[in-house]
Amino acid sequence: MSTTTAPKPAPAAPQRPRLRTRRPLRPAAVVKNAGALALAALFLFPVYWMFSSAFKPSGEILAKDPVFFFTPTLDNFTKATGVEFFWTYVQNSLLVTVGAVLLALLVALAASFAIARMRFAGRKGLVLGVMMAQMAPWEVMVIAMYMIARDAEMLNSLGLLTAIYFVMVLPFTIWTLRGFIAAVPVTLEEAAQIDGCTRGQAFRKVIFPLLAPGLMSTSLFGFITAWNEFAMVLILNKDKAAQTLPLWLTQFQTAFGNDWGATMAASSLFAVPVLVIFVFLQRKAVGGMTAGAVKG
Amino acid sequence: MKRKLIAAVGVAGMMAGVAACGNGGDDKGKTDAGGAKEITVWVMDGSAPKAWIDEVNKEFAAKHPGVTVKVEVQAWKGIQEKVTTALSENTPPDVLELGNTQTAGYAVTGGLADLTKDKGGLGADAWPKSMLESAEYEGKLYSAPWYAANRVVVYDKKAFEKAGVTPPKTRDEWIAGLDKLKAADPNTQPIYLPGQSWYVLAGLVWDEGGELAVKDGGKWKGGLGTPQAASAMEFYKKLQSYSTAPKDKDEASPQQSTDVVPKGGVASWIGLGWEAGGAEKALKDAGKEADFGYFPIPGKTADKPGTVFLGGSNLAVAERSKNKELAKEWLALATGKDQMTKYAAEVKGSLLPNQAAANFTPAPGSFAEAMGKAGVNGRITPVTPGWANVETEPNPLKEFMTKVLKGEDPAKAGAEADKEIANRINK
Amino acid sequence: MTVHSQGAATAPQDAPHEPGGPKAPQPPQRPAGVPEAAPAPRGRRAALPSGWLPYLLVAPAVLSMAVLLLYPLAKNVILSFQKVDKIEFIQRKAPFHGVENYTQLLGDAQFWTVVLRSFLFTAANVAVIMVVGSLIGLLLNRLGKWMRLVLSMALVMAWAMPIVASVTVFQWLFDEQFGVMNWLMRTLGFSGYEQHNWFESGLSTLVIITVLVVWGSVPFVALNMYAGLTTVGGELYEAARMDGANGWQTFWQVVFPNLKPFFLVTTFLEVIWVFKAFTQVYAMNRGGPDRASETLPVFAFVEGQSQGHYALAAAISVLTIVMLVVVMSFYFRLILKQEEEQ
Repeated sequence: MSTTTAPKPAPAAPQRPRLRTRRPLRPAAVVKNAGALALAALFLFPVYWMFSSAFKPSGEILAKDPVFFFTPTLDNFTKATGVEFFWTYVQNSLLVTVGAVLLALLVALAASFAIARMRFAGRKGLVLGVMMAQMAPWEVMVIAMYMIARDAEMLNSLGLLTAIYFVMVLPFTIWTLRGFIAAVPVTLEEAAQIDGCTRGQAFRKVIFPLLAPGLMSTSLFGFITAWNEFAMVLILNKDKAAQTLPLWLTQFQTAFGNDWGATMAASSLFAVPVLVIFVFLQRKAVGGMTAGAVKG
Repeated sequence: MKRKLIAAVGVAGMMAGVAACGNGGDDKGKTDAGGAKEITVWVMDGSAPKAWIDEVNKEFAAKHPGVTVKVEVQAWKGIQEKVTTALSENTPPDVLELGNTQTAGYAVTGGLADLTKDKGGLGADAWPKSMLESAEYEGKLYSAPWYAANRVVVYDKKAFEKAGVTPPKTRDEWIAGLDKLKAADPNTQPIYLPGQSWYVLAGLVWDEGGELAVKDGGKWKGGLGTPQAASAMEFYKKLQSYSTAPKDKDEASPQQSTDVVPKGGVASWIGLGWEAGGAEKALKDAGKEADFGYFPIPGKTADKPGTVFLGGSNLAVAERSKNKELAKEWLALATGKDQMTKYAAEVKGSLLPNQAAANFTPAPGSFAEAMGKAGVNGRITPVTPGWANVETEPNPLKEFMTKVLKGEDPAKAGAEADKEIANRINK
Repeated sequence: MTVHSQGAATAPQDAPHEPGGPKAPQPPQRPAGVPEAAPAPRGRRAALPSGWLPYLLVAPAVLSMAVLLLYPLAKNVILSFQKVDKIEFIQRKAPFHGVENYTQLLGDAQFWTVVLRSFLFTAANVAVIMVVGSLIGLLLNRLGKWMRLVLSMALVMAWAMPIVASVTVFQWLFDEQFGVMNWLMRTLGFSGYEQHNWFESGLSTLVIITVLVVWGSVPFVALNMYAGLTTVGGELYEAARMDGANGWQTFWQVVFPNLKPFFLVTTFLEVIWVFKAFTQVYAMNRGGPDRASETLPVFAFVEGQSQGHYALAAAISVLTIVMLVVVMSFYFRLILKQEEEQ
């Protein structure tokens, strides 16, 4: 599995090609930057509201006149993480998500290489199939999936959950990687082989590094999908020992009062890993993407 | 060719390895280790105080050494879907709590064990008729009644005092009081009543002599298109006009007890015992003090309080349970007179136990006291498997209420709702 | 893949895994529910060295999709021809029901209303998402380093926010009694927002849901658009500028042709995602008021799962897929054509 972890960014990534020298403070630039700020504020507001509510004392979360200034408290976080099975959920979520993503990367790498680089009968059909598989209505298939798992005695299994998430993200992963592999000029690969590399080495040393942004963005996508998945785990795993964090998020809203503070604290914590991975991967993905522009 | 082969074998090998660890390793959580037995009990959030259930399990363990009882607390949200799937599984919960309006819906599926023969052991003779009714279906017993509860009016003593209002005995007095409250403090809602509090409406319909649904020949039909329902709705509308609560929400969104009342500005509201408790706690957390009084929803005349919906829960045994006998014994123990007495005391009478002998004498002026007075006039929703479908969202009763509150003709809205009710209840 | 086998009319090749020059081709229709048929054993015949390698490489993907996607889908299709209500579900019976579920649906005026609503909702959402997303993508490309970082971080954070949380927050924003929007309108001096109900009608509810969906989807489009733009060489803009093209012309002459694959794929994905969106639509107002904001997935949930008509829900989902495939078939062709050009 080590093959997929954090490949080095593409060698000698060329600097962003557009070096535009601008005279400072043209009216257009002001409008542009002001617009960007306004947009950023607009997109951030709900996120800000989530985080700030997580730190609010419970009485001030819902108010006729919203409270913007308050004494922050960590009570909500204490409550959210204090629930039984919290660490089990964390462990399960990590296991299932990381497992599904890694599995999807490996399997997709092989498949997309074949699709992008090899000619074989049924290739076009496979492309179509992968495309259509992205339309798979997982949400409405929960009952069918449940009946299969129930009759196969596979309820409450993290293995099955991992496998399902893996297949959920597989089509997109194949689809994206295929594009990236196709973008690597065959000549590069051939050159490497002329230099004495085996085809495997050529793949590893030439193609693979160029795939970095693709691997990043697909793992990001896979991570978000699997990390957030709710419907399947809700119906398949009734045993709390086999449940994941999305179920934890909903448990603070009960008939006896909605603990909004705890819900928002839990949601904030839940979002943090995604954010971290995002920030980490996104930069490299975008940076590496320019490198991939060799394809021109 | 050789190169390709090596590459391919490498990739395939890698995948085989990963696939193995992905599917194999973590398949845990199967509990049927032979030998030691375990029964699982599902109780709903807020139903079973921990001290009480620990007590029950202690007594059970004394009788059955080696048997462990796993109690799992379930959330009400989405419980119907969850119970339905659970009952279809090979290892369902052995004992489970079911809402009294929903029990018949499960009884008909064959997912619940028939307890008719165990009536004696369960002490069924002591159960009041109103509670037994919901536990039975077509003459057979499918669950044991556990507790019941009904709504009363919760009021802020200070606000009432200030306006010179005393707890009313009739609807007219009630309305007169609300007028006084409004005059005394225009910034306070005399009563907080959201538009879709359908349990409240049910009581008003019964007061008028109407029904939510009636059996007509072999089929059920809705009763909202009737003049009785229209006049019940008229009174509801009158009450609701004193409130600024949304007309298209029920009491749970936002949660009246913990989201609305603690903010202040609410002189009275209609709620259950745990809601009153929740509001008290929320007020305390906010550094305020709750000073609640309680009175039964007034009737049309002073001699009798208004009819109320008698909510509650039953305990059933799953048909597929692997330990049915143990489950039944646990059930008998938990719903027996001794434990029910402790139960009623534990909840300070805010939930009525399944037998009069276990009743807790409530403190004067407490919620429980008002609830007890109102409860004599308690009724339940139609006992038929289809009813559970009716009260599932989107609930036609709620849509009916919102429409009328927004000015639609009750007869017309009622007829529409009746159509939907008939459609669902007869399935 | 079988999701699609219903769409066979437009998508004839549903057997990507058929072996290369196979001696024993699979019959075109495999019996449903037999996933094993998928990765038909590769003959040992290897006239060309590359003959079997691609199959070996795609086998794990095909196999896993067959078992965990095709098989449940087949099961779903079978289910749609059975009678499975609560009773049958719990007793694990599944009597054959013919096309009963389908006739019931197709004869239900409400179903057709929901279908129409779903398509309009999807079209409106995707249009807004694509336009706004592309504009923000273009903006990102023209911003200075710091401003770009600020805006893309904002987008990333919006994207990373869990749906449960975003739905809850949006409910608060538009709540009748405690909503931030009502407060904002009051503060800005508008009257009538003392307790304005933003969910008054089906349309207004759908508009709010659109705001949520657009807010949640734009980051994906904008960030990918920006990533795509960076692959368009600066000299191309330069050339366009020298030719005297204005911004609008530059977009259509330089950006769009270069990013056509991006637009194709992104629109395709967004259509699918929006059409299938359940949580956002359901949680916002439970399909209300009076069921006027129900889209197909919500309708399936309400009529199927909530009411315990599992087979009916399956039929709704099958019809949903069929419609989606039909609508998207032209897209498939476009993308496949793109594929061949590569």
